[in-house]
Amino acid sequence: MKRIKIFQWACVVLLVTGLVFWGCAKKEAEPLKIGGIFDITGPTSAVGKDYAQAAKDAERYINENGGINGRKIQLIANDYAYKIPEAVSLYKQYKDVDKVFVIQGWGTGDTNALKQQTNNDQIVYISASYDSNLNDPSKSPYNFYVGTSYSDAIRLAMKFVNDSFKEMFPDAGDRAPRVVFIYPDHPYGKAPIPAGKAMAKELGIEVGPDEIVGLRAIDATSQLLHLKEFDPDWAWVGGTTPSTSVVVKDTAKLNLRTKIISNCWGFDENILKLAGDAGNDRIYGMAPFAFWGEDVPGMKAAMETAKKSDPEGIHTVRYIQGWTAMMVMWEGLKRADKAGQLNGPGLKAALESLQDFNTGGLTAPVSFTPTDHRPNTALRIFQMSNNQLVPVKSVSIEREDRFLGW
Amino acid sequence: MPTGLFYTKYQDDEKIFHTLWVKIWMWALLIFLFVCFPFVAYPLSGFFGFSLQHMANMIGIFIIGAHGLNLLTGFTGQISLGHGAFMGVGAYTSAILFMKGGWPFWLSLPAAGLVTAGVGMIFGVPSLRLRGLYLAIATMAAQFIIGYAMRNWTSLTGGSAGLNVDRPSIFGFALDTDLRYYYLILILVIFSTLFLKNLLRTKTGRAMVAIRDRYLSAEIMGVNLFKYRLLAFGISSFYVGVSGGLFAHYNLVVSDEHFTMWLSIQYLAMVIIGGLGHVLGGIFGTIFMVLLPELLRIPTEILSNIYPNIFAIFGTLRELVFGLVIILFLIFEPDGLAARWHTIRAYWKLWPFSY
Repeated sequence: MKRIKIFQWACVVLLVTGLVFWGCAKKEAEPLKIGGIFDITGPTSAVGKDYAQAAKDAERYINENGGINGRKIQLIANDYAYKIPEAVSLYKQYKDVDKVFVIQGWGTGDTNALKQQTNNDQIVYISASYDSNLNDPSKSPYNFYVGTSYSDAIRLAMKFVNDSFKEMFPDAGDRAPRVVFIYPDHPYGKAPIPAGKAMAKELGIEVGPDEIVGLRAIDATSQLLHLKEFDPDWAWVGGTTPSTSVVVKDTAKLNLRTKIISNCWGFDENILKLAGDAGNDRIYGMAPFAFWGEDVPGMKAAMETAKKSDPEGIHTVRYIQGWTAMMVMWEGLKRADKAGQLNGPGLKAALESLQDFNTGGLTAPVSFTPTDHRPNTALRIFQMSNNQLVPVKSVSIEREDRFLGW
Repeated sequence: MPTGLFYTKYQDDEKIFHTLWVKIWMWALLIFLFVCFPFVAYPLSGFFGFSLQHMANMIGIFIIGAHGLNLLTGFTGQISLGHGAFMGVGAYTSAILFMKGGWPFWLSLPAAGLVTAGVGMIFGVPSLRLRGLYLAIATMAAQFIIGYAMRNWTSLTGGSAGLNVDRPSIFGFALDTDLRYYYLILILVIFSTLFLKNLLRTKTGRAMVAIRDRYLSAEIMGVNLFKYRLLAFGISSFYVGVSGGLFAHYNLVVSDEHFTMWLSIQYLAMVIIGGLGHVLGGIFGTIFMVLLPELLRIPTEILSNIYPNIFAIFGTLRELVFGLVIILFLIFEPDGLAARWHTIRAYWKLWPFSY
């Protein structure tokens, strides 16, 4: 009985101190609130943690550099563990309680699930999902993202496969390149596949059977064994860095000659460590953003802020991705505030006024228009060689209307 | 002054409201929930930092499901690890009938319950032969099979991208705000609680309890094991299906990710923490399981504003504390919150002469 009493008292004390603590914390001046939905503990946390940290650090940088024409911002960052229901619940909190009009979001599944609601509520939703489904303003006027869309990336990948085929596979003769698509059974993985297949068809590339490799996979041998018969030259992998490195290692283990081209979320500095020697001359990746520490003008601010918040922190391109999303939002907020329209529709209009907005080389110049939310259509293709990330080619695709929205 | 509970008739023992006071309190609670709660929910939300109205709705939806599982696990003694998937069946049924079939909501919601009851009974068939852990594994199969169907039957379920659902209206009354939906949920929660409570006082309910306590004795007394086990699966799944239907139209989107194994386990946690075999258990357990993660978010948010440089760690910490609190609760409250509630109540009622 005594033990239980102590437990009960402990509960009461905890509750009271918690309430006091939090009552005090709430009494500061009201900054502009921004919702944040990030994955810190879920299946994409390997890439999500650094992204979220960048967003949080960018909040500090923005506040130290004048905020929104003097007003501070506050990013309410929460983890949703890549679960759609959690994202829906967080969205309700941001909308009803915090009354935000802009949210920094994360995944493809949840962004699409919330699409209808954010657009009805006129809340600008900047996602880390570069799903092409979100870039058609006639369907989702309040969705934005900064980064080359997955579908444009996969189209560029197909073009690259086709253009470099003769040079990279001299033994192949006159036959068409053979490509397979490997992706997780998840909206993120599935989103660009139709675009990739359509592009492959257009270019005359032979497409093999799809294989599913989950985001948390630790083994892909059975899926890769299925591919032996088709013997593809290239495999598109749409996963995150850990799952991509699993595919890379197992390809090497099975002695497949297939080269791998990965979506942007599957290719960062960590691939060097995770894939090891198996990755050399095997793994290629789409890189819409500058890698950590690259010599571009915009990198300095990010690196200094990161150092201030954690002197020993190790960061990757994911940090740059989160950082850039916040910087573009900042520019939009400043413009909206100048126009006296610091609200959802005002921010939307401000973002749509961005024309070749210079991110300091962190990503290709960003433009939005009221009829086209594709931020940019250019990226670089990197490969892993001698345990380093080496640029292969800068590529870009025309902003064609027929590619809008898928 | 009472020093204990003394009944002279069996009818007294079976009463839902034992004293006048219980009845008065119950009415007071109902009036609070119907009239006052909407007024206090909004200002309190600003204080807590999360939407209380939304939480109340989620709690209501999950209470219905938890009642279902409590009937099966708490009262009939049949474990199920498939209730997460069954909830999904209800959600998809209602969503598809409503969005694609054009059914009115007042038909699609009961249809969700009925279809789920059917599915639940199919997966309940092994309960004739299997008990305990074996049954748990057999019902887990439901989780895999239904989960696979939800993910891959793309033409019907929209695949892994899920299905968008609209807010419904009932007889011309649009349930377009959280508050309006709250009343629908509240009425259904009251109805389902009353039904469960009364079911346990009938022949059927007593047969189920007899099966739980000792199935062999029950069979010797003439209880048809198969019939009642299957019935328990059916009613239980009906509850969960209705809760799934409510969930779909409330969240405006259904995807297979909602209805994973984790949800099944969460349901089990709700009834175990609340108290197996107590009607109140489903209610307390759900409130606990739904509110705790939200409450734990408050310190995380504050700490991440104070220490933005290590904020990623706090996100992880929240999950950890959540697990720890559940373990502590099971150690200190092994009979669940409902049992603790009864002890506290008896303590006050009988003070100072309790024995």
